[in-house]
Amino acid sequence: MAIVEFKDVSRVYRNGDHEQRALDHVNLSLEEGRFIVVLGPSGAGKSTLLNMLGGLDSPTEGTITVNGKDISKLTPNELAEYRAATVGFVFQSYNLIPTLTVIENVALVKEIAPNPLSSHEMLKAVGLEDHIHQFPSELSGGEQQRVSIARALAKNPHILLCDEPTGALDSETGVMVLKLLLSMARDMGKTIIIVTHNQNIAKMADVVIRVKNGRIRSCEEQAAPLSVEEVDW
Amino acid sequence: MLLRKLFRTLWKYKAQFISMVIMVALGIGVFLGFNVEWYSLEINTKEVYDATGFADYRIYSDKGFSPEDLDAVKGIAGVEDATRFLSLDVSVKDSSDTLALTVSENMAVSGVLVTAGEPYSAEDPDGFWLSDSYAKANGISLGDPLTLSYQAITVSGTVKGLVKSGEYLICLPDTNQMMPDYDTYGFVYISPAMLDRSVPALYKMMVGSLYHQINVKSSLDKPAFVAAADKALGSTRLVLSKGETVSWAEAQGEVNEGKTMASILPVLFLAIAILTMVTTMHRICASEKTQIGTFKALGFKDRRILVHYSAYALIIGLLGALLGIAVGYGLGWFIMNPDGAMATYIDVPSWKLYAPAFTWVVIAGIIAFLTLIGFLSVRKMLQGTAADALRPYSPKRMKHLRFEETKRFKRLGFGTKWNLRDCVRHKSRSLMTLFGIIGCMVLLVGGIGMKDTMDAFLDVFFEKAINYATRVNLDEKNMTLEEGKALASSLDGDWAASRAVQIGDKGYTLEIYAITHDKVRFADTEMKIIPLSDEGAYICSRIARDFRLKAGDELSFTPYDGNESYTVPVAGVLDSMTEGIFMTDAFADRIGLTYKVSSVFTDAAEIPDDPHILNRQSKQSIMDSFDIFMDLMNKMIWLLVIAAVILGIVVLYNLGIMSYTERYREMATLKVVGFRDSKIGRLLISQNLWLTVLGILIGIPAGVGILRYLLDALASEYELKLVLGLPTWLVSILLTFGVSLLVGLMVARKNRHIDMVAALKTSE
Repeated sequence: MAIVEFKDVSRVYRNGDHEQRALDHVNLSLEEGRFIVVLGPSGAGKSTLLNMLGGLDSPTEGTITVNGKDISKLTPNELAEYRAATVGFVFQSYNLIPTLTVIENVALVKEIAPNPLSSHEMLKAVGLEDHIHQFPSELSGGEQQRVSIARALAKNPHILLCDEPTGALDSETGVMVLKLLLSMARDMGKTIIIVTHNQNIAKMADVVIRVKNGRIRSCEEQAAPLSVEEVDW
Repeated sequence: MLLRKLFRTLWKYKAQFISMVIMVALGIGVFLGFNVEWYSLEINTKEVYDATGFADYRIYSDKGFSPEDLDAVKGIAGVEDATRFLSLDVSVKDSSDTLALTVSENMAVSGVLVTAGEPYSAEDPDGFWLSDSYAKANGISLGDPLTLSYQAITVSGTVKGLVKSGEYLICLPDTNQMMPDYDTYGFVYISPAMLDRSVPALYKMMVGSLYHQINVKSSLDKPAFVAAADKALGSTRLVLSKGETVSWAEAQGEVNEGKTMASILPVLFLAIAILTMVTTMHRICASEKTQIGTFKALGFKDRRILVHYSAYALIIGLLGALLGIAVGYGLGWFIMNPDGAMATYIDVPSWKLYAPAFTWVVIAGIIAFLTLIGFLSVRKMLQGTAADALRPYSPKRMKHLRFEETKRFKRLGFGTKWNLRDCVRHKSRSLMTLFGIIGCMVLLVGGIGMKDTMDAFLDVFFEKAINYATRVNLDEKNMTLEEGKALASSLDGDWAASRAVQIGDKGYTLEIYAITHDKVRFADTEMKIIPLSDEGAYICSRIARDFRLKAGDELSFTPYDGNESYTVPVAGVLDSMTEGIFMTDAFADRIGLTYKVSSVFTDAAEIPDDPHILNRQSKQSIMDSFDIFMDLMNKMIWLLVIAAVILGIVVLYNLGIMSYTERYREMATLKVVGFRDSKIGRLLISQNLWLTVLGILIGIPAGVGILRYLLDALASEYELKLVLGLPTWLVSILLTFGVSLLVGLMVARKNRHIDMVAALKTSE
């Protein structure tokens, strides 16, 4: 069953007389529990696609349906509820709250998520159970990204959206983070959508979507995705 | 090109920029305003004192002074000039008004400044040189006829000149009145020739000399002058220095009051302005760090970058100073314009505004200091290599705080922890917010508390202490004690007598009261009404403070025109409008003090015509004179309240925007995670409200402290007991809270416009 459906979605940014079409009549259907990679050069529209899906932005035209619910016309408060319950976000630059400890950063989602998971369990799952009382500034980049993943997972979302999650990490740490994300899809049944320009990550994906000039160039199923170890990093 | 960038950056940080300009303008404005007030007062009054030959000393005698006495005084080494002087309250025919009829034989001393009409002439047979303020209030013009009467003597003539005089700079009929009332009381000068012509020969034979005063210009100090005068005149006389006259003491009191105000409030405003500048400039430079680095990497010299960024602080300083100078002169004008209460109080021909020279030095110093703050902030960002400068500014690393180990802290919600740690992490910002709130609270408690204190004082004085409808002043010199008592009895009134006495070398009034009808009451230092006991003398709290006396101590005083000295027990200390000693007639009789009835206090509806009655003062007229004084007071309080609110809004808004900018990314994160705008807004506001509660808690004692300091500074003029009513607390707290909440809401509204995508894309 399709968990995500884009129907004729466009996003136009206007700045005076200048008009920029970041997404141009996009149609897309994604299945639940898959590891999906969106590829494309800078400015192709892949982040816009992710932001639409994450409820950070709304389309100018078309409808986006997630779990059977149209999210394209939601009010700001309804969008906040949607973000709290349905999607988890992982960014290239982690975006942790510097004044909260690791455990507090993860536990803060309990304030808003309807079915949150145990913060301790999530931190254990990402291998940070020994760092829970440290502040983000006391952790390495990879560790901070794992906290960010734990926070996203603690909301118990259906979909995990990751924007260049390994972009700021060295390759070794990046591999560790990708392994973690892959296991979320395989073991926990989450739908993972990763936006990247790193072609290698695509080799692990169940589905690879290629975006260019705001349009979907291809959306291909990979019958035999490679494991993290098999990819040549 | 850099100039263009300068203006664009100013626009970018417009909220901080405008708030800083306002803060600097407020600080400089209040500083300059209060200094302009006291300095203009000093210069404007000095002009009148100098132009009219205001006397340094006044020698009094009941028997009057002969021309030989005057020559003897003039012969004292160190005496520059002297005159025989007469000032006598007389009635204006066909009205209930009173004028102080004045004659100075030598107008170079205690003379007049003619503002309209003919120059004064010592030989003029029928000319009046009338107080221009009295003439204006009563519609009297040059050339109008005027008739004055004193007992059976009538003086008639025409108004030939309108004048002002240093002797009557503050023209009060007696010390119970606080503000002049030119509708009913003024002064008039006539020539010695006219006096001589008007007074019958028989009267002159009876009273001897008409001149009861010799006024002297001398640079001698008081003990030296008194000793020399005693020697020259052959007996102890009442000598009052200019500091002991109402005109000099009250005007000087106003100057000192202005100096006190100028030393407290501006410091508060300037300190907050400078501290806010430090915080703001640091934040602006921190957020401009990569641009500063870019300039450096492009090859700009450090000096050029320093000049460019210091220019922001210089522009803020210059604009703030320009606006502040306008505010300062506006404030000075507001307090002292010719139609205002100060002009009614102090009768000078013009109210020109002057600023003391040091204020310009201070203002230049403030601009230089603000520029230095900017300079140092940029220099900090320029340190190291171009690569170092290019790296974005990173705030301090979070560290665990000691109180985080407590169980209570662990139980706190994430919002509370977030805010607590943010306060600690951004200490300077939090402290500045706290200062802003404390400042706002201090001004409100101080301003409104001053009104409470004054209201309580006036309530005791008018509602309780004055329990009579009319005060009747008697011509004590021409009546016996028995006649005075009989008159008081016929009016069913209480009476008082007054004697001039000396404690040490300072002159005071001793008032003797016979209270049998409860018409006059006295308040102790707790503002409670107490009966006067017959077991000692009471002193006002100013004397108690100056001579370190309390109940049970002994007080020694010497009446003028007498040789014996009295040592009496102090029965209590009173809060009084007049500065003096008080006792009952029974106690005065016991110690053998002689006196005559000078005033009767009565409720009698009709007061018969009696040649011994000089004039009548209704309670209402005394109360009305305070209205003008209260009007001045209320103006000052409104100014303080407005300043408090502006200060609160500007400081809190500036810091609120700073906090919002610094936490923008964190708020964007919370928004992405799924927090609603309203919840994020509540988090932001709650930090402000904590600081507000803390600021209020500190601001209350600080406000009381400032008020106490102000009352101590004013203690030489008013005997005030600090009173703060519940409404004052409520208004101060609610207004401070309201300002904080309003600013919090203004800032929190902005989080609706957080661009989550843009905020989270940027690197840490």
